[in-house]
Amino acid sequence: MIMRNGQQLLLPASPVFIWCSLLVALLLDMLPLGRTPWMPDFLALVLVFWNVHQPLRIGIGFAFMFGLGVDVHQSSLLGQHALSYTTLSFFATMIHRRLLWFSVPSQAVQVLPLFLAAHLVELVIRLINGNMFPGWTFLLAPMLEALLWPVVSVILLVPQRRAPDPDENRPL
Amino acid sequence: MSLGTLDRTPPPIFKQGPSALSKLILFSALALFLMVADSRFQLTQPLRAVLATALYPVQWLALQPMRIWREAGDYFITAEQARKQLEAASNLLATQTIRSSQVEQLTIENSRLRKLLDLREQLKIDSVAADVLYDAADPYTRKVIIGKGMSQGIVLGSPVIDEFGVLGQVTLVHPLVSEVTLIIDRDLAIPVLNVRTGVRSLAFGDAAGGGGLELRFMGSNSDVQQGDLLTTSGVDGVYPPGLPVATIDRIERRAESAFARIHCLPLALVSGARHVMVLQPQSAQIPPRPAEAAVVAPPKKGGRP
Repeated sequence: MIMRNGQQLLLPASPVFIWCSLLVALLLDMLPLGRTPWMPDFLALVLVFWNVHQPLRIGIGFAFMFGLGVDVHQSSLLGQHALSYTTLSFFATMIHRRLLWFSVPSQAVQVLPLFLAAHLVELVIRLINGNMFPGWTFLLAPMLEALLWPVVSVILLVPQRRAPDPDENRPL
Repeated sequence: MSLGTLDRTPPPIFKQGPSALSKLILFSALALFLMVADSRFQLTQPLRAVLATALYPVQWLALQPMRIWREAGDYFITAEQARKQLEAASNLLATQTIRSSQVEQLTIENSRLRKLLDLREQLKIDSVAADVLYDAADPYTRKVIIGKGMSQGIVLGSPVIDEFGVLGQVTLVHPLVSEVTLIIDRDLAIPVLNVRTGVRSLAFGDAAGGGGLELRFMGSNSDVQQGDLLTTSGVDGVYPPGLPVATIDRIERRAESAFARIHCLPLALVSGARHVMVLQPQSAQIPPRPAEAAVVAPPKKGGRP
């Protein structure tokens, strides 16, 4: 198997864990914190992560469905987040073979344009539809999402980094 | 299968499914269709209702930390704060007692005068109390979600008030929750009456999203003053007349413009309301327009008068 130098061979990803992580991200997005344009979109982050790591399990279709859910929750225009997540997921699928050859910090730099594009798609849709401009702090959201990429990479890969043959010295 | 991951099954070699580009085109087209259907034709209400009901458990779960935090905060409220609140409440009660003792007398007087003038009786207003679940996280609009919906008899278009004034209007009704667009949303207009002068006008949400209202189309020589109270005028068939809406905060009269820029502050707690009242829209109680009088045929020549 061709691998990056020094990378650990990972265990298979559990579909239950993937779905739980997506649900937790949805919950984090739904926390009633009020109107904060700079709030990072955790669901988008986790969707991109699984798109890159498990493109056969989580694809563009699921991103679309989650987008519809977020639209209904935020009571925004139906299809707005769906379009932005579809775009995000498409670009994530496009770069998934290349991205994992880089170290985690340079991965974060490479996913920044994706998140920026997703937020710009939302902004353009809203401005076309005649809504108000949310203020320049919305540009912080993609930055924060890219900054959270290393954190998410550690947390979501923990179950796959366990020992393949647990014994008394390595119980997990 | 991704780089460096062992999987239990090998990745498919030939059966790859539709390409990413074709999926992108399909789902983007679907999203665009939904957006047009939503914004232009209002066709998506059933889909929204289904999704909202499916999402309700997750939303309920997400609300729990905030609820626990609030309840803990309420529990650990200090005696000093409680005493202050009690004092404020009893002060408010004292001022309201005077007003409410006048109300009885004024109501009788009003009904007599109305009978004298042969006017229609004042409309009776039904209301439902509801609590605010959360502010919609959408930074592009100003909406809140309340915890009563279609199953509790909320009707689309109902006015919503809190203890200080008009908060907004119900713009979307789901089976268990409803969305209220606040009066400071730039898409919401509310007909108002200046109590001091009796001039009717329209207040719009601030276009810049600053959390205020704007009184548009008032001439630069119009009689408005800072601190004027604006109440609902009741001419729209939605809001009952006489509910306080806003006070005038700032007036900019500019020489080059025929209109004054009048900035108002909402009286309702637009960013912190917790309990609201949903009123029945008045349009349901207004009698239908009388039919046009039948056109009288011109008398024929030579016919009987």
